[in-house]
Amino acid sequence: MAVEFSPEARQKFEKIVARYPKKDGAMLPVLYLAQREFGYLSTEAIEYVAKIMELPAARVYGVVTFYTMLNMKPIGRHHIQVCRTLPCALVGAERIAASIKKKLGIGTGETTADGRFTLSEVECLASCGSGPMMQVNDDYYEDLTEEKVDKILERLK
Amino acid sequence: MEKVLLRNVDAPESHTLEVYRARGGYRAWEKALREMAPERVTDEVKASNLRGRGGAGFPTGMKWGFVPKDNPKPKYVVCNADESEPGTFKDRLLIEKDPHAVIEGTMIAAYAIQSHTAFIYIRGELSFGATVLQNALDEAERAGYLGKNILGTGYDLDVILHRGAGAYICGEETGLLASLEGGKGWPKVKPPFPATHGLFGCPTVVNNVETLAAVPWIIDRGAAQYTALGTEKSKGTKLFSVSGHIQRPGVYEVEMGYSFKRFLEEDCGGVRNGKKLKGVIPGGASMPVLRAEEIDGVTMDYESFQAAGTLLGSGGVIVMDDSTCMVRAAWNIARFFAHESCGQCSPCREGCHWMEKIFRRIEHGEGRAGDLDLIQSISGNIAGNTICPFGDAASWPAAAFIKKYREEFEEHITKKKCVRME
Amino acid sequence: MDPVKLTIDGREVAATKGQTVIQAAAEAGISIPHYCYHPKLAIAGNCRMCLVEIEKMPKLQIACNTQVAEGMAVKTQSAKVVEARRAVMEFLLINHPLDCPICDQAGECRLQDYYMEHDLKGSRFEERKERDRKREIFGPHVVFDGERCVKCTRCVRFVQEVTRTEELTVVNRGDQSTIALFPGKILDNPLSANVVDICPVGALTDRDFRFKVRVWYLKKTASVCPGCSTGCNVSVESYQNRIVRFKPRVNEAVNSHWICDEGRYCFHSLTDGERLSAPLIRQEGGLVPTDWETALHVALSGLRAAAPLAGIVSGRNTNEEAFLFARLMKRLSSEAALEVFYRERALTETEKILMSPDRSPNFRGARDMGAGTDGNHNSLAARLLEGKFRGAYLVGEDLAALEGDGGIEQRRALEKLAFLVVQDSRLTATAKLAHVVLPATHFGEKEGTYTNRRGRVQKLNAAVVPPAGALQDWQIFARLLSKMGDGRSFAGPAQIFQAISEEIPAYRGLTYERVGDQGVLLAGETKRL
Repeated sequence: MAVEFSPEARQKFEKIVARYPKKDGAMLPVLYLAQREFGYLSTEAIEYVAKIMELPAARVYGVVTFYTMLNMKPIGRHHIQVCRTLPCALVGAERIAASIKKKLGIGTGETTADGRFTLSEVECLASCGSGPMMQVNDDYYEDLTEEKVDKILERLK
Repeated sequence: MEKVLLRNVDAPESHTLEVYRARGGYRAWEKALREMAPERVTDEVKASNLRGRGGAGFPTGMKWGFVPKDNPKPKYVVCNADESEPGTFKDRLLIEKDPHAVIEGTMIAAYAIQSHTAFIYIRGELSFGATVLQNALDEAERAGYLGKNILGTGYDLDVILHRGAGAYICGEETGLLASLEGGKGWPKVKPPFPATHGLFGCPTVVNNVETLAAVPWIIDRGAAQYTALGTEKSKGTKLFSVSGHIQRPGVYEVEMGYSFKRFLEEDCGGVRNGKKLKGVIPGGASMPVLRAEEIDGVTMDYESFQAAGTLLGSGGVIVMDDSTCMVRAAWNIARFFAHESCGQCSPCREGCHWMEKIFRRIEHGEGRAGDLDLIQSISGNIAGNTICPFGDAASWPAAAFIKKYREEFEEHITKKKCVRME
Repeated sequence: MDPVKLTIDGREVAATKGQTVIQAAAEAGISIPHYCYHPKLAIAGNCRMCLVEIEKMPKLQIACNTQVAEGMAVKTQSAKVVEARRAVMEFLLINHPLDCPICDQAGECRLQDYYMEHDLKGSRFEERKERDRKREIFGPHVVFDGERCVKCTRCVRFVQEVTRTEELTVVNRGDQSTIALFPGKILDNPLSANVVDICPVGALTDRDFRFKVRVWYLKKTASVCPGCSTGCNVSVESYQNRIVRFKPRVNEAVNSHWICDEGRYCFHSLTDGERLSAPLIRQEGGLVPTDWETALHVALSGLRAAAPLAGIVSGRNTNEEAFLFARLMKRLSSEAALEVFYRERALTETEKILMSPDRSPNFRGARDMGAGTDGNHNSLAARLLEGKFRGAYLVGEDLAALEGDGGIEQRRALEKLAFLVVQDSRLTATAKLAHVVLPATHFGEKEGTYTNRRGRVQKLNAAVVPPAGALQDWQIFARLLSKMGDGRSFAGPAQIFQAISEEIPAYRGLTYERVGDQGVLLAGETKRL
């Protein structure tokens, strides 16, 4: 199947690009759009973005590999990102990460066999006063305890 | 103390235009647009002595003043909402609870330098904040505060919310601009400086969220009221994000010059669980750590922190009690910087990882004699020699941890294990 | 251009406003170590090797991005600077495999050079080194070793700024940063191998040259590329009397720092194959070797009896050779039709950056010498096909082997000639049709001048020695002329050039010495790349 935006996504793309003083500036929003549209940024998706952005594919590729939120591989339905940076580490982040690994039976960077969860350990998410914390897709979960994590994971189908 | 920055955050529905306006919001914007020439706005901010709250502390009004008036190119204002310094979460609070203040400050800055397009570069992970800000922008536009011919004055301004995608370095001014231009967040060599050659080669001002959020208050009340707050040299108030082993973590607004000890012990309730303070990083993970006994007499302002051998930075206060393994803490920070180094220039790209590897070894009981001096040497070889301040940010904490807690590091090396976290 | 005076290492240096410290220093003969800086690429400032101390500035500054200022005092050798440089070297080497003994760059590697200059001690790095891709084929000419790369991004900037093809980028970040192509793409633009030249280390090497010879054994001869009439300045590098590579030689009036891939590797097709080592004459049963005296005698008498005559000289022949050839042919027959071999093809935009549409580097010069009397090569070739000539003297072009249009027809036309002399370095298809074959030299064996498309006269120098039995083209023409009683004797290219400067108006006043290693522009021509 050819990688291409749906008409709706194409419309969004045109709208985004029109707002920027220079088309190149729309790179990140367009990559987000592509990631939403295609699930992840395959080389075909990157090539497609390069084409519509009128930029060399290598440049777009370099950009995608630079940012942690742009994925070149498929990830689970729920992307669990546990903050591991000092303020969270001081208040038990390692314990939280360990309990998630145990519960899901996967290691950092891995996805459960059913494709439900991907686990990452990430750097500071600006939630240091309410650690330990994690982000699942777009949502923050703060002041975590092992029991709280269990309940959250149960809820995420 | 009257709150400047947290004046609205506790009000119910503080993020809405209705509440913001009811509490005096956009009064400064109307005043600036209707009553003040752009240079007057800059002069007022200069007079307030407001300094950049992102970490560098550069005078804000002066920064605006550097933008050439006769340059025919478009001018841009960018609100730096890429808050990523470990231990810092104050901008996130403002974004989520008082988005209109951030927007109003951005708009006033744009007017001051006569920019017609402004950006709010928000870090990608702050998805909720982005939603709040976008809703606020839409509200502001519907109310006629933004868009074409604002309030009938003939002034046009578009504010674009732009999401980052996960890279600490995009909080660095030129890294942010490179990212906003569609590239990797690679900081740019200076000169030229953004004031003349910024976004897409055009004159650009980049200000932190907290800095801009203070601007409406300053314009509304006048610089004199702002300078009435704070110390002789550090004016106004500052937000401190407090985390770690503390009784009441959170974001606090503090008048510059407040006692650091009193702040920690009284305002924040002291070290939690009855433990004792071992050390505290006052300005975000990139600033040198202070030992417990070093905080005596320190006041919360640029000069006093500097005199104590550290810096105010972003105001990210990370508190560590006496159960903390300082080697593990240092390794954690080193790992952060190794992970976030953009990889562009040699000392940072290679040095950050090298330090991280050594810290990791020491923490895992594989330290060697000479490791500590080696880290100090690597740190010294990075600091000051890189394209952007990241090199300093990565090397200062490493050097400070070893300097301040050397005996603990040596113990790790001689006993071949982590002696505290068993 | 406002003059600026500054001091570098205590020496007063005159510079101009807008120049950077590294440029001003280079002009004053002070070289500041660097990797990422390249005079023809945007400033990256990433290697940090060119850090220098500038009075009144608390931090060290990179010389590549610091503009000179009046009264500025720069130190490039202070203890602080040397220490910073050693630190940068150490950083660059921690993940480097230190495999100089098997690295093709050894001998022209800046990591190696600066290491020696800075007398670094053993490594303080005792951690596991980061791995990267080894021997990744980037394209037809370039191979990549990620572990030797210092991420100076010169190659990336080259494909962004010069060719604008942007095949390369930096992927990932931190110490995982590496140079990469977009998956599935290759580095095959017409100037691709320049990235090898500008790579300061052994990360990008030349697939054609690597492992052939250690660079310190190379003999380097300043010359001109014989690939086309752009006339890019090259260093012809040889080992044991074989040309093994071309490297661009900087000439801002012609090729700047670059050469195209086609030119870079053209020496293979021009020099490969078995060489003629004796003249041949046609007897019953075919071509047989003979001595020069006999061959020249047979050639001369045959041509004299075969009017109307056609003469075609190669665009790779020098001005000096073309001058004598024209003189010879006119002496043989005032009616002789002469032309310089020339063919054009379409070029892509990227090719146009450097390449000319022909493969006749001295097309213009040879015509200036009077070797073009017949309108153009095509019209002469057409007349040859129509059977308008009885005799022909062909120099250095294998007409019978031309691909596509005309090869077979040319061959038939040549077969019909009453007398054919072919002068070439190899026994070509055309030579096999000849009545006399005269063994000559290729571009790499001769000295002389080429005049490029834009009227720049440039010097060709002999990089290797021709095989015994072959003569230089100019010698062959000179001996024939002398047999015909030409009173003027020519002792070598310099003397022939002297005659050219007397007889060819556009070359009046030029001297062989003035051509030098950067060339001179003919009067009335405007300087441009």
